[in-house]
Amino acid sequence: MSVELKIVCFEDIFQYESGEKSRFSDEYRQLSAVILLDKQDMASLGVKDGDKVLVENEISKIVVAAKTTDDEPHAGLAFMINSVWSNQLLRDDLCNASVPRFKGITARVAPSQEEVTQISEIVQRLRA
Amino acid sequence: MTTCTGCSLLCEDIELVLKTGAISEAKNLCRKGQGHFQALFTERTKPMIDGKEVTLDQAIAKAAEILKNARTPLLYGWSNSTLEAQTVGINLAKKIGAFIDDTSSFCEGLLMERILNGKIPTCTLDDVRNFADTSVFWGTDPSNSHPRHLSRFSYYPRGEKRQKSYEEERTCVVVDVRKSATAHLCSNYYFRVPPDGDAEFLESILTVLDGKIPKTGDKKRLIELGTILKKTEFGVIFPGPGMIYSMQDKMDLFEELVARLNEITTFKVIPMVGHYNMRGFNQLMLGQTGFINSVSFRGGAAGAATTHGPEQGVALAAKSSDAALIIGSDPLSALPFGTARALAHIPLIAIDPRRSLTTDAAQVVIPSALSGLEAGGTALRMDGTRISFEPITESERLSDEQILTRIMEAI
Repeated sequence: MSVELKIVCFEDIFQYESGEKSRFSDEYRQLSAVILLDKQDMASLGVKDGDKVLVENEISKIVVAAKTTDDEPHAGLAFMINSVWSNQLLRDDLCNASVPRFKGITARVAPSQEEVTQISEIVQRLRA
Repeated sequence: MTTCTGCSLLCEDIELVLKTGAISEAKNLCRKGQGHFQALFTERTKPMIDGKEVTLDQAIAKAAEILKNARTPLLYGWSNSTLEAQTVGINLAKKIGAFIDDTSSFCEGLLMERILNGKIPTCTLDDVRNFADTSVFWGTDPSNSHPRHLSRFSYYPRGEKRQKSYEEERTCVVVDVRKSATAHLCSNYYFRVPPDGDAEFLESILTVLDGKIPKTGDKKRLIELGTILKKTEFGVIFPGPGMIYSMQDKMDLFEELVARLNEITTFKVIPMVGHYNMRGFNQLMLGQTGFINSVSFRGGAAGAATTHGPEQGVALAAKSSDAALIIGSDPLSALPFGTARALAHIPLIAIDPRRSLTTDAAQVVIPSALSGLEAGGTALRMDGTRISFEPITESERLSDEQILTRIMEAI
């Protein structure tokens, strides 16, 4: 089972504070490598809070933890905190206004048995 | 007392007690600022070449060598540097014929350009505190991005003409794609827009202001919003990245809305700039080149053919450059995968107080002093107010300005 979602990124003060102290800490990874899903999408995927999901598109793929939002219903729309994890999925072609499509990530999400993508793995991908 | 350089509010009332290895006491410091200053004691950079520790002189000499030999160097970052450092940086770009760009080219630049060119009216945050009765946070969540915005300026404080409590005198409107922390605070006037739906929402407001019924959206609530805006005495819109990414090339429509509002009452706009001196860089660049960012000085200072456009912005310049100097920024973490990967494959010089993905990938790392704590200087707050600050602790590390000056001298 997988679902196609649009992902919008946002800023979170707790994650930001953690990233200011260290981009390489477990705490920063735990706060960043998370996707916030609507209840309906969580049910469609058969996952509960803390379960791992694979988020994949034509750019890259990452494994992150799923979490249910307490927001109003927004099936088909997911949220991720801005970080190197979310940016792995971001296209670098520019829109008409010459800015990258930071709010226009689309990706397929599916349950995963793998561990959350480590920052060391991301660094290797960037250098490959 | 010091100034926090953790965001573009540049709070000047920070009281700190520093002990060995930690901040032992802090007054007026928000969580974001706490993280920013705590970084003083964690993961500081050291002078490095190819992953090996070297002397500062060696690192600076190597940086100069890389830039001197580069055919199409890129100088990127700048939003976390003082005006003094930015000035030297622009001169360095002219001298070596480099691309120069800052973080505004992929966030607030689209709006800042219109503000600095006088196309959209603006005011100071002190005006907001003293006069504003309506604040509209559009595609931004200051509770997370600028934690003291509401308490110092836009919602809670009493001001010259706002002597009563915020419940009586101020209205806070939030337009966002998600119910953010700020939207929870202002839940009566939270307007949810779908992704990429800001232009349509804006057109509906224009329709309501013209006394007509909007064709799309919650008509009742849109009319309610129109009434709030019309009754406003002094309103301020604070657009954030969410609005700008959604509007993209339709910013003319936003300009039209602000003009229409000003036919009815007074409305100003202050962009929710993230980094502490992004506006400073934009203003300096505009004064020297006529453009706020994304400029190439290819040809050098003598025959400088200044060009500007997407090709000169970091997203594309990263792919056409053969070396890059990155200052006070972590593009390998913050930029799209393809751009970050392109940067990771060319010789990088990273000037930064602390370790990041970019410093880890850099051929040359030059440690710098942390502005506001270890280095003084001047910066422009998000509203353009000039703020000067002095260091409050001694440091062996050079400021950005000193490092750039030494690189210039060595080229």
